[in-house]
Amino acid sequence: MGTVRTLSLLAALLALLIAVPPFLDLSWQNALVNVLIASLFALAFNLLAGQAGLLSFGHAAYFGVGAFAALHLMIAVEDGLAFPTPLLPLAGAAAGFLAGLVAGYFATMRSGVYFALVTLAIAELLHSLAPHLAGTFGGEAGISSMRMPWGGIVFGSMLEVYYLTLGWVVLCGLGLWAYTRTPFGRLTLALRDNEQRVRFLGYDAHRSKVVVFAISAMASGVAGSLLAISNETANYSLFATDVSAQVVLQTFVGGSTVFFGPVIGAAIFTLFSFLVSDLTRSWLFYQGLIFVLVMLYAPTGIGGILYGLVRNRRQIDWSRLAWPALQSVVGGLLVAGGVVFLTESAAVLFGQDYAARRQGAGALPAYDLFGVSWNPVGVLTWLVPAILLLGGVALLVTGRRQIDGVKGRRDAPTAEPAPLGGAS
Amino acid sequence: MEFAIISTLNGVTYGLLLFMVSAGLTLIFGMMGVLNFAHASFYMLGAYVAYAVSSVLGFWGGLAVAPVVVGIVGMLIERFLLPRVHAHGHAHELLLTFGLALIIQELIKLFFGDFPVSYQMPGALRFSAFTIFGSDYPFYRLFIGGVAVVMFALLWLLLTRTRTGIVVRAAERLPAMAEALGHNIPVVFMAVFGTGAALAGLAGAVAGAFYPTNPNMGLELGVIVFVVVVVGGLGSLKGSLVASLLIGLFSSFAVGLDWSLASLFGLVGLGDWARAIGGLMTLKLSSISATIPFALMLLVLLVRPAGLMGERN
Repeated sequence: MGTVRTLSLLAALLALLIAVPPFLDLSWQNALVNVLIASLFALAFNLLAGQAGLLSFGHAAYFGVGAFAALHLMIAVEDGLAFPTPLLPLAGAAAGFLAGLVAGYFATMRSGVYFALVTLAIAELLHSLAPHLAGTFGGEAGISSMRMPWGGIVFGSMLEVYYLTLGWVVLCGLGLWAYTRTPFGRLTLALRDNEQRVRFLGYDAHRSKVVVFAISAMASGVAGSLLAISNETANYSLFATDVSAQVVLQTFVGGSTVFFGPVIGAAIFTLFSFLVSDLTRSWLFYQGLIFVLVMLYAPTGIGGILYGLVRNRRQIDWSRLAWPALQSVVGGLLVAGGVVFLTESAAVLFGQDYAARRQGAGALPAYDLFGVSWNPVGVLTWLVPAILLLGGVALLVTGRRQIDGVKGRRDAPTAEPAPLGGAS
Repeated sequence: MEFAIISTLNGVTYGLLLFMVSAGLTLIFGMMGVLNFAHASFYMLGAYVAYAVSSVLGFWGGLAVAPVVVGIVGMLIERFLLPRVHAHGHAHELLLTFGLALIIQELIKLFFGDFPVSYQMPGALRFSAFTIFGSDYPFYRLFIGGVAVVMFALLWLLLTRTRTGIVVRAAERLPAMAEALGHNIPVVFMAVFGTGAALAGLAGAVAGAFYPTNPNMGLELGVIVFVVVVVGGLGSLKGSLVASLLIGLFSSFAVGLDWSLASLFGLVGLGDWARAIGGLMTLKLSSISATIPFALMLLVLLVRPAGLMGERN
């Protein structure tokens, strides 16, 4: 029954994703393409991190390999190779799979934290090597190509690229979901929960992990190739640690324990960075802060919380939960306001522009933030964030206490330890 | 000969610097099973704190304050943040420290900007230690190595020759037993975490005055340090010393050598064929010196998955 509901929900979401974009402007279409790509990448990453319990810190490698493979095929198509443009991601899939087989062979020799370190090092290896391999990765400038028309479709507009991306993301997303239903998908979970027992059952744990790794890398490669198709260019910065870090943040904020959780994180982070990247330089800082807070207070992520609410919706006394929940939301907003105020103030006060102005003025001149002028040595300036933070924390603490009271001890955070792929 | 001696000196000093950072990492891991992703950020934090303090108290003041500040930050993290996620397993501890590393990096960008800051060694230390083959060898490189050696002599004496050292080693091997004997193990853990962080902070304060101090220095060194602990074997101090020196030497020699795979093939008369292939074949060793540690790590993984001195995991 749960499956039916999930599927109908997904169908509704899909209908929206198909129907709405033609009415959006170009930058929004582009943002949605990025959301879709990030979602697929996060799903692929979570196959490894959430389901197999193998935490990879270097998934940018397979994302990038997929992008470069698709671009090389695009260049070949430009030169006259008869290959249908919509099938270009197959190149990314193949390249990602092969790269995943090789890298996975090394990385899965060790488990736990070693695995994380080895994957990170493999991505760094590519990142440091790529600028020197002009033939394959185009040196520092990278390589670029053009989308060629195929079968009456020009692939000139963003909308066409969007639908192509949507098709591939839905296909791969459902494929990954179906994979979790297969016996091998179950074995993947077993690898996470008890590798030793998997070995006792007669499976070759290392070989299974290599296959899971390669499948995850394959889907990441598809995501990378979709980015290459959308951007028509790629350079070695695709292998950078930020790309690997992004997918980790998105997946765990979204929730790695629920299959579609990572999509939530990917969508939120990608949309937010699209919306606020013009307003603040500190977006990465906020991302890190959100991630750490989620790790500390909601280890199952947004998806995990939503899933828990939906699953227990009949047991939860919603009327009693509403007030403390509202209180917590207000508290959270106040805290967020205080943090944003302090961060943006720091960004201004320690910025180069301000340093220049300070030298000109001698004393500490006032600064503008949120359309208001603030005096950096005024009491009011620092009283505002202090009140926001203290009030917000107070509301959050009391709200949380009441919520725990309503929900009872059933799912208090002090549950028994759940080992998640630790070094055992 | 000139090249060999200078490269060896550079390699050993760089290796000792790596050891200063990786020792804390491996010590903490061996004790608590926590791989501290933010460890290299402590190194960066050390450099920036020393830079900020040195403008007021001078270079030596910065050098003294930085490890203390970084050590306190480390202890606060160990005391208040790590226990919260401990119940969810090692993966969550790793993720938490990963997030902290990100936050530290962004905070530093926020306060000090994206560009390198001019954290310089004092003029009193800016002289050449000796002249070798007509070129001056900077004293400061020897100073970095010297600080590392002194640090480790002290740490080693502390661990093996004092009562505190016995408690720490007991806490590492059998924490429950040591606690039953009346030792305050949580405090021991906190102190070890703080010491490891302070060591990284000191390394940053010392090295930041020689190498560029910028917001990427943590990540750049961090990846190499992770390679060091994988090659050496996590939890083994001896292993990380050997691996640090190995990687320091490999990188410093690689910078000066313009060998390539093609020249290797040239020895057996296949040079022209290899050069015709291009790509990987004609890459000069010097241009890929940043890649050497990672390649070395893959090699070690193939031959000895547990690392040079590690135990099977």
